[in-house]
Amino acid sequence: MSPASQLDAVAIEIGGMAIALHTQDPRFRALLENRYAGFIKTPRNPQFEFEVELFEPAETMRADEDVQVRLERGEWLLRRGDFQARWDAKAGRGRIRQSRNPYAIDSVLRIVHTLILARQGGFLVHAASAIRGGRAFLFAGVSGGGKTTISRLAPSDATLLTDEISYVRRDGDAYRACGTPFAGELARVGENLSAPLSTLFLLEKGLENRIEPVAEAEAVRLLLRNILFFAEDSELVNLVFRSACEFVQRIPVRRLIFVPDERVWAIIR
Amino acid sequence: MMIMSAVDSTFFTLNEVGTLIWQAADGCTPLSDIVTRRICLEFEVDPDQAGRDAEQFVSDLSQHGILLVSEHPILPASPGAP
Repeated sequence: MSPASQLDAVAIEIGGMAIALHTQDPRFRALLENRYAGFIKTPRNPQFEFEVELFEPAETMRADEDVQVRLERGEWLLRRGDFQARWDAKAGRGRIRQSRNPYAIDSVLRIVHTLILARQGGFLVHAASAIRGGRAFLFAGVSGGGKTTISRLAPSDATLLTDEISYVRRDGDAYRACGTPFAGELARVGENLSAPLSTLFLLEKGLENRIEPVAEAEAVRLLLRNILFFAEDSELVNLVFRSACEFVQRIPVRRLIFVPDERVWAIIR
Repeated sequence: MMIMSAVDSTFFTLNEVGTLIWQAADGCTPLSDIVTRRICLEFEVDPDQAGRDAEQFVSDLSQHGILLVSEHPILPASPGAP
């Protein structure tokens, strides 16, 4: 990237993948730098770049429009009520047209990362994650199942990677969990760190703290329920399905039944 | 099933009962009917508890602008309506 084009860019690195966003609007650049603080990198050699064009709220498209992600003539088309984007994955370049709503850029980034990860054996998953003792733990569950609670109860020696959207990367025969700026109810951005993934816990609130094994087929089914994937693309859907199966073969999946107080962390190891 | 709020991009991962309520919420069928005619028939649940849980569920979704709770049927907009 030329020094001149670096001036209007903000590069956001998540999971070791830097995406530069070019915008002529200094207020929007400031919004990005504030929202993704901790994940901002020098926009020197980003893997991917997007030009961002903002439209005014008066132009807002249908707010309740479903998200659409599909491949059209070699370009990914991403669309929701508050954004439209085109992305040439091979060229590494794209264009986003969106309202000033920060959730729009959040959604575009999430979708782009799901597309990137699908070909690498990784995925984004609706789960909290944390590092403790040099190892990462994922905590997935239905809404209300305890992701926010387990994050809030994390002891001081645990580093929260996210309370909402976890980033899982393939690392040879193993996996790494990476921090994300995608916050949930805690409204706390995760730490921009990563660690080898140790265990996926499926959360369930109960009357005592205990860990139970989960059969492999059940683990795949429950993991798939929590994986984020938006594209209407059979090839990538197959890849994501295969990634979930391979993940479960390599990473222990356990059911964590817990009483919502800090003692639960004594059995997380 | 997972749904995403178009308002604040919040995700909701639904269990089987939540998925059933979401799919049955057509703007016309009362929640109480969904509970008695669908949930209580398809799942082994206490009807009173199921009713309370269903109300809490739709309340949570409505707070995120995902679902609109109304005392009256919500008719679909007619073609050409503004």
